[in-house]
Amino acid sequence: MRASDLIHLLPELILLGGAALVLLLDIVWLRRAEERRRQLLPYVALGVLLVAALGLIPGGGDNVSVATMLVFDPFALFFKVFALLAVALIVLLATPYMQTRTPFSGEFYALLLATALAICLAVSASNLVMIYLSMEFLSITSYVLAGYFRQDRKSGEAALKYFLYGATASAVMLYGMSLLYGATGTTDLAGLVAGLSSGAAGQSAWLVTPAIILLLAGFGFKASLVPFHQWAPDTYEGAPTPVTAFLSTASKATGFAILMRVFLVGMGAASMASQWISLLVALSVVTMTLGNLTALRQTNIKRLLAYSSIAQAGYILIGVVAVVSDSTRIFTGINGVLIYLLAYLFTNVGAFAVVTAIEDATGKLEIKDYSGLVRRSPWLAGLLFIFLISLTGVPPTGGFLGKFFVFGAAVQTRMWVLLAIAAVNSVVAAFYYLNIVRYMFFVPAAEEGEPIRVGRPLQGALAITAVVTVLLGLIPGPVILWASESARSLLLALR
Amino acid sequence: MFLFVVFALIALAAAVGVITSRKPVYSALFLLLNFATLAALYIMVEAQFLAAVQIIVYAGAVIVLFLFVVMLIGGGELDDIGGRNKKFLARLTWPRGIALVLGLGLLVAVGYGLLSGQLMTATNDAAAFGQGSVQAIAAVLYTDYALPFELASILLLVGMIGAVALAQPPKKD
Amino acid sequence: MVPLSWYLILAAALFCIGVFGALARRNAVGILMGIELMLNAVNINLVAFWRHIGPDQMTGQLFAIFVITVAAAEAAVGLALIIAIYRQRNTVNVEEIDMMKG
Repeated sequence: MRASDLIHLLPELILLGGAALVLLLDIVWLRRAEERRRQLLPYVALGVLLVAALGLIPGGGDNVSVATMLVFDPFALFFKVFALLAVALIVLLATPYMQTRTPFSGEFYALLLATALAICLAVSASNLVMIYLSMEFLSITSYVLAGYFRQDRKSGEAALKYFLYGATASAVMLYGMSLLYGATGTTDLAGLVAGLSSGAAGQSAWLVTPAIILLLAGFGFKASLVPFHQWAPDTYEGAPTPVTAFLSTASKATGFAILMRVFLVGMGAASMASQWISLLVALSVVTMTLGNLTALRQTNIKRLLAYSSIAQAGYILIGVVAVVSDSTRIFTGINGVLIYLLAYLFTNVGAFAVVTAIEDATGKLEIKDYSGLVRRSPWLAGLLFIFLISLTGVPPTGGFLGKFFVFGAAVQTRMWVLLAIAAVNSVVAAFYYLNIVRYMFFVPAAEEGEPIRVGRPLQGALAITAVVTVLLGLIPGPVILWASESARSLLLALR
Repeated sequence: MFLFVVFALIALAAAVGVITSRKPVYSALFLLLNFATLAALYIMVEAQFLAAVQIIVYAGAVIVLFLFVVMLIGGGELDDIGGRNKKFLARLTWPRGIALVLGLGLLVAVGYGLLSGQLMTATNDAAAFGQGSVQAIAAVLYTDYALPFELASILLLVGMIGAVALAQPPKKD
Repeated sequence: MVPLSWYLILAAALFCIGVFGALARRNAVGILMGIELMLNAVNINLVAFWRHIGPDQMTGQLFAIFVITVAAAEAAVGLALIIAIYRQRNTVNVEEIDMMKG
């Protein structure tokens, strides 16, 4: 590690310093202060995120390897920007929500900044040791965030389930990593592909299939793929709503980023690629089908969004299995995944922002409580409508753009059966998304409620997510270019 | 060779003890025995520093923490996987059945792979001895592995903050 | 010199016992102990591979050290969670901790 490497680590260092700053401010300066000054804390966190985003500029995305364990390529840069954006939105969501629910918000924002740090490191890690450490860092922080309301029974239960599944999944993944290390003698991803495809491949071929399956347990847990999804519904329902929004977007995207990097870079050789592709096809089918069918009979909105988020992970996986190594094509599979994840970030955080606003005002989370919402609060109903049609994948929204690129890649690789199943699933999904719309617009409320007031930070989050969701559908050019450019560095590894 | 077999058998017996004893305190003590045997095995492969870490961190910190928690939440009974009062099949509820099948399947798959695969031969002991020492590990840990080392320290800090945030008693106000 | 495969089979057996414990136990503390067994099995693997692949490359040992570090942090957070849960409901049985259904 050289001193010049530090410039590439600038955003990480800023996030680390920022997390410490927030924590110290909370203890030293704000704990005894009056309520008004305490409300500054989320804005300090937002400022840290902004400075960290500026810190990305000098490092750039120029494909360098830093400290032998990290690689800074456009792919990593994409996900770093993604992580900073996501955490900033979550901070906006959490500002009014946490204020009314817990007197201790300092650690909350510090931990949120720590998750941003964990994601930044995880997406650029190019060594199994670093991947394990950063994934575990993200997990441990998320366990604490999920259980942050320690008086609340649901929050505690959510965190305990998340923890028990997560710790088991990471131990299983670790066993797979140790087998890979044994087969190749290295934990570096580039060394891995060389070791696995070299002359000794015959000797270690028996290790690869079990290792792929074991690794998938860890990545699948983060990305909430069936059958590693059991934690998701309970954790999503019980965790604080901003944390749920975080788990379903940023944390899930990190799982996908690591999955893509490990499988494409570490096991990109054709003989191995055919193995994990066929496995992922099966997972994708099971994930979207099970997620959608279970979502159909949910009555709690957070739980419904949890199952919908499982199903969406199935669609995203289509992009990974439809990958093609020719980066000059329009659909490379991977760029579809990136676009989908970005669109899903804004759409889903937006949906959760509406849920947060309504939960803040009424304390209710059942779908039937949304009946007559259009009368009480036409703005919220309209925004939720935009997010829901984006989740369904109707143009002109970001969700449509993501689905278009992911399904387009599948058409290009002629995966007709997978496409047919995905199409049927999209129709099923439209059913339960539009059911919420039906409640909001056409079912009269049981009792007339007052109009719902939305705090300023939440208004900001709603405005940003809604505008971006629509803009992604109307002016898709820049995002497509950015995603394709970011995917290229990863596709070079695939042969 | 003989020593390995002895330690391996103790480790296996202790592991079975961990998951079958009914008192959590016994479970924790079996776990301690398992960790200590593994430390002995590490010494046998010339990884002295790791053996010391195993004892200090696992036996000294993790097990003590387990015992503290078990005492704090009042011992109690664990569910009896190895209970005596019921027939074996009656105790085999479906999650346990799945667990048993999964565990055995994994064992068979990995065992078969290990026996059929050809593995590298070992290098000599003299070369290995120096590489398990504190100096050798420190030389690598603070150069090539400096970044993961720093990350591990941040992880411990965040773990500590998280544990405090979760476990502090509810405030009365 | 003990053959490598003996170590690996010992590790596989310990790992499977750990998996069984983690899946079959209903007490959260018991599950956590099963997870610790799994992590230790991984460490045996890493150390045995290190010893046999070529001890001059330290990766296996260092990976094992990091695993121990993470396991300690994980146990701390997990046990803190278990204490928080126990304060709420006087039980750590995961079958009784099941408010949400659907």
